[in-house]
Amino acid sequence: MIAVLGNLAILAALGAAISVVVVGMRSQKTGDTQALRIPVGVFALAALTVFNVLEVAILTHDYSIAYVANNSADATPFIFLLASGWAALEGSIVLWGVILALFTFLVWRRLDVVDPLGVLAVAVMGGVAVFWFGLMATAGNPFSVCTDVAGGLCSGSSWWPLAEIALPSGGRGPNPLLQNHILMAIHPPMLYIGYVGFTVPFAFAIAALLRGDVGKIWLERTHRWSMVAWAFLTFGILLGGWWSYEVLGWGGYWAWDPVENAALLPWLTATAFIHSAVVQRRRGMLQAWNFILVIATFALTILGTFLTRSGVIASVHAFTQSGVGPALLVFLALVVIGSLTLFAIKARDVAQAPRLDSLSSREGFILANNLLLTVFAFTVLFGTMYPLIIETLSGSEVAVGRPFFDRAAVPLALLLLLMVGAGAVAPWRVATREVMWRRLRAAMAAGFIAGAFAVLIGVRSIAVVIALVLAVYVISAIVVRFATVVAARSEGVARAARTVVANDRGYWGGQLSHIGLALVAISLATTNGLAVRETVTIEQGSSALVAGYCFTYIEPFSIAEPNRDVTGVRIAVMDESCSETKKILEPRVNVYAGGSQPIGTPSVWTGPIDDVYLGIAGGSAGVVDLNVFIFPFQWMLWVGGLIVVAGGVLAMFRKPRSTPRASETVTAPEARNGDV
Amino acid sequence: MSEHVRSIIAIALSAAALVVIVVGLAASDQPPVNAEERVAALSASIKCPFCNGESLAESGSGVAADYRQLIAERVAAGYTDEEIRQEFADNFGDSFILDTSTSSWALALWIIPMVAMAAGVAVVVSMRRAAKESEEVTT
Repeated sequence: MIAVLGNLAILAALGAAISVVVVGMRSQKTGDTQALRIPVGVFALAALTVFNVLEVAILTHDYSIAYVANNSADATPFIFLLASGWAALEGSIVLWGVILALFTFLVWRRLDVVDPLGVLAVAVMGGVAVFWFGLMATAGNPFSVCTDVAGGLCSGSSWWPLAEIALPSGGRGPNPLLQNHILMAIHPPMLYIGYVGFTVPFAFAIAALLRGDVGKIWLERTHRWSMVAWAFLTFGILLGGWWSYEVLGWGGYWAWDPVENAALLPWLTATAFIHSAVVQRRRGMLQAWNFILVIATFALTILGTFLTRSGVIASVHAFTQSGVGPALLVFLALVVIGSLTLFAIKARDVAQAPRLDSLSSREGFILANNLLLTVFAFTVLFGTMYPLIIETLSGSEVAVGRPFFDRAAVPLALLLLLMVGAGAVAPWRVATREVMWRRLRAAMAAGFIAGAFAVLIGVRSIAVVIALVLAVYVISAIVVRFATVVAARSEGVARAARTVVANDRGYWGGQLSHIGLALVAISLATTNGLAVRETVTIEQGSSALVAGYCFTYIEPFSIAEPNRDVTGVRIAVMDESCSETKKILEPRVNVYAGGSQPIGTPSVWTGPIDDVYLGIAGGSAGVVDLNVFIFPFQWMLWVGGLIVVAGGVLAMFRKPRSTPRASETVTAPEARNGDV
Repeated sequence: MSEHVRSIIAIALSAAALVVIVVGLAASDQPPVNAEERVAALSASIKCPFCNGESLAESGSGVAADYRQLIAERVAAGYTDEEIRQEFADNFGDSFILDTSTSSWALALWIIPMVAMAAGVAVVVSMRRAAKESEEVTT
């Protein structure tokens, strides 16, 4: 019954998406927004219904649906049952589809009454939706009924909802790793909102190209959508790293896994895009480049989806292999070839005379950052695909992993920081050497002093010192600039600060993100360069010393929970003399129903400086082998990441530009702040 | 304070701090790498067999734990990093060594992104040059 309902909803959504395309194409000449009212409304409702029916099937444990039987169980806790709705292949396509439907609806609601560009953009979004719901109706059907049972699981299924059903006795439950931490319920939706959100600027760009309306209107209109997508993508990646850190037990948050790379790639091009979009809005440059970047970003989200769902690249994130992969590859090819052909046809309209007055200017530094970000993206993409390329060309197998990506990313990231500091304070058009020096000299001194301080307190890692110098330089440059602009106003400091930010949320939001980025850079350096890793063996009641901490093994414990058996050890983290307990940590090992291998769960204490990270490496009665990791300034990664997101949110609420602002104008503030 | 004085203070402070950094880093030896750190670095550079593309360092599987133990034993027995990696390469194939710096394929992996970077720089410089020329034409 529920399979019939679900499939009908999918077909209704598919039909509505097709009508969005048809009606949108037809009414784009008149630009009559109301013509799309019914198609868009039905589409959004039907898509929501698909999602809700799937969730109901999961929550009511309807194991006649193969997806439900294979990805949830009676004992699965509620929150992970909900998350099961998108934790596996078919469900993830449903989540994708429903988010796209909601975006389509919201975009449509914000259109003007007569809006040819917007109507066409909604039609493009409908076209993308046709693909996703078509996929749901065929290769990726979430409502396939179970027709064959083997070992308590669905081993065969049929898309025909009235096929003869074989009912498995109970569900298998989600993958243990996916029900080990609450973040797993939040990370994918955040990431997907980010991924899918880039459909909006892509759709407007394509619509603008189709209409030959290639000016900056599509950019102005998609600013907020791009920022929403970017902020969610950033947040999603951050949560993924945090989940990995809290769950996987090796103390890391980034492994350059192909699928992590797949999330990073659109983030890099999108970050380039939100910067180059500012250059086009302000200076009318980079028109063609913005089209390329937005097409690349959208294509990379599809590529990422393809990589996770095709089995092409071995990855912990990969879903099971299925017919979905080839379909995604075809869609990716269509998007890339179609968009680039369209772009090539309209290239003459898009091309414009270069207007770069000086390489030393805001736009010059943004251009440099764009270059670094795209080369970064290209390098990551190339490294990720390299094993495939080599295997195809020569048949030999190579592996590209962390050592390559680390080595390639570090110099690019450090160069980026250098440019961020300069770009943040450079005026548009021309930044004379005097102006740049005046705005950066204090920051430079602060950076070097911070580096010297680190060396004096005993830091010997060159990478950490360089990262610290550059990060403090970036933060100081921005803080000094802010202080200068605020001090130039006549009202009180607090009020002036508020006014300055309120007058230019786009710029100051960006600077807030840059400060967060600098904090992230510091943490990346310290948690890699200054980490302590030791494995100690402790008997119950005795202690071990690691890096100035005393670890005392108090007792073992075990808990039987509905979906898992937990065994662990209680460890007191104490000061060096083993007298004062700072924190009790309980690293554990979970064994989930369904007979998988045990999943270790680390226990972390975040102190003012260090994270103390304990994991069980092994042991026997009365003895534990304990992995002790100390990560200095780990918290700064999460805090810095959240600040990056917060900056994006602030920039979302950029006011439409009316008058020139102090932080942006070329000469006036210089004259005013010259003697500050 | 005049502009001049500010500049001099900034330069003096930066120079002094830079001296501290350079002398501090040069004078002290880099801290010795302990066995755990070597094991961590080695296992991050070797792919875990049967683990979906994870390295030995990341995988939570029993197989990976066993191989990490093996690496720890080799480190304790005084093997070099290269010898340990070679042992894995001999047993599983070169494709299990994630540190590609020694492979013959590595060259292209490094050169092509650098070419991309150079091409990008060339484009930016040519943009500026074109802008300059059009300025000269118009003025």
